[in-house]
Amino acid sequence: MSKRRVVITGMGALSALGSTTRDLWHGLLANRSGVRRVPRLVDSGITVTSGGEVDAVSSANVDRDHEIANRAIDAALAESKRAAAECGFIWSTGLDTFRLGTTGFVHRSAGRCFSNLASRFAGPRRMIAAACASGTQAVGEAFRLIQNGQVEACVAGGSSVMLTPFYLIGFAGLQAVAIDNGDDPSLACRPFDKKRKGFALADGAGATVLESLESARERGATVFAEVIGFGVSQDAFDLNRPCDDGAGAELCMRRALADAELTIEQIDAVNAHATATYSGDLAEAAAIRKLFANRWQELPVSGSKGAIGHAMAAAGVLEAIVAAQTCATGIVPPTVNLRHVDEGCELDHVIGEPRDVNAETVLSVSFGMGGQNAAVLLKRF
Amino acid sequence: MVYLIAAAQEDDLARIRERKPELWRLVRRYNKPVQLALAAADEVMRFSEDPSTAAVISLAPCQPGSADLYRWGNVVTSGMASGRLGNLRMNPTQTLHAVDNLAMSAFAIMHGNHAYCLGLGGAAGQAWCGLEAVFERLNAGLEEEALLMAGDQDAAEDDAPALGVALLFSTRAAPVRLVSISRSPAIVDVVPHAAKGLAALLSSIDQGLMSYVVPPEHTDGFSNVAVTLEIS
Repeated sequence: MSKRRVVITGMGALSALGSTTRDLWHGLLANRSGVRRVPRLVDSGITVTSGGEVDAVSSANVDRDHEIANRAIDAALAESKRAAAECGFIWSTGLDTFRLGTTGFVHRSAGRCFSNLASRFAGPRRMIAAACASGTQAVGEAFRLIQNGQVEACVAGGSSVMLTPFYLIGFAGLQAVAIDNGDDPSLACRPFDKKRKGFALADGAGATVLESLESARERGATVFAEVIGFGVSQDAFDLNRPCDDGAGAELCMRRALADAELTIEQIDAVNAHATATYSGDLAEAAAIRKLFANRWQELPVSGSKGAIGHAMAAAGVLEAIVAAQTCATGIVPPTVNLRHVDEGCELDHVIGEPRDVNAETVLSVSFGMGGQNAAVLLKRF
Repeated sequence: MVYLIAAAQEDDLARIRERKPELWRLVRRYNKPVQLALAAADEVMRFSEDPSTAAVISLAPCQPGSADLYRWGNVVTSGMASGRLGNLRMNPTQTLHAVDNLAMSAFAIMHGNHAYCLGLGGAAGQAWCGLEAVFERLNAGLEEEALLMAGDQDAAEDDAPALGVALLFSTRAAPVRLVSISRSPAIVDVVPHAAKGLAALLSSIDQGLMSYVVPPEHTDGFSNVAVTLEIS
């Protein structure tokens, strides 16, 4: 059976840069960081007080996890002019949330959040749990289901509400988040930079509507990009850090290229995972250099977490949305907060301002804690 | 075609400690659902032709965490209320207990598995999505074997009942063939649990059942599910 072509016809994003995909894209093009000091974290007295806060939904809202997700989903569906009841739902709500409520410790189940969100969709309804790679894998799994003819359209993406002391203290224990030391909070997350000290944790949500090209054409839908490849892998190395040479990351990128039947010469840009952790950035840079061999010095690489922080389950799909905008415009946004590239992180980084390279085909990658890796390939339509 | 090669269930940590000390050394830091899922997986992978190349589909617990994690959560929220969290540190072992894809990662490390992986989250009825994913991948010829594993607990308390389940599927012929998984829309009440639904399916196979209608409480709440098996 021939494989169907799959396109993106709707996108929604809530991030530290704002509550629309336009806010996200234009913030990145302006080389602006939305990461800032978060008052409730300051009040709690912990050593990490910077983060990627989503202003659109109050942090006091007990249904914040649903609200943030639903706003992104609704925006994507509205843009696509699709109804939820005619779409599958491939989504990650990340980890359970643990925070302080009016009567004490409140535990909110990620699974229950997913079930509530899924209730208005047709099947399949799959909840992805691949740590920081979840959002990318959600897009990839939806792509595969549509490509194989199992469903006509899917909403794919993820949402995360983890900007709480519970998780900040946990990630600080793993030396993964940037501890405050009096710096400008907007500089907290510096991917690939000599001064990087970890990521800024963020809340956020990203949603995409994927559908078959036939369906999009029949409906006269606007197409933002085509999804052409997907790959996953496991590091099988360590629960907390990647292997130094980025072998697992390279494998998932290689699989995405093979899936799309493309060569490295046909890739125009990479949207990197770029967490600003010491070992993560080194491994990712090594993986990109190895995969792209003699091309790495001329392949623009950009990451979004310097601007929006690390939105965990939402990170990969927010980055796929950025990659789709790159496909549509040809412009690669800069890696916000990258100024002095660290030794070992050498790549063709986009620094300081966007670069118009007429990029048509973009590889967007995510690497999860525990070693799950996912990559999707997007192409201009 | 897709065949069930082996299945295992584990519900007793003491037994694992006693009978499989090497496995226990590898899993002792994890929370109970993960320990039991990995122990069940260890059992079925003895029948695998190559554990490093099997697709791994792992269900996160619907009731994640551990008693230690929840006790720590109470410490944090008490500190938040008073604004005195300061330099409070989290034991990295407890950090692991919050991770939903832990069993998949640990399995990959134990078996050197770099293959396709799909972690499904702790929502009701994801077990059947996992079974569908197994069916899709093996029928498409993408892998020759696929592991489906799950671990869950009734509550994140020290003595709460817990269960780990693992099923190894293959394209090579065996007595139990997975014929289809079908769904029809329905709104039903559920009792979210990652492992009990698969355990109930396995017990029905023992009774020689050919078409297994998933009890409503084991579904996702939005669809009836029927699993058709051919047992020779």
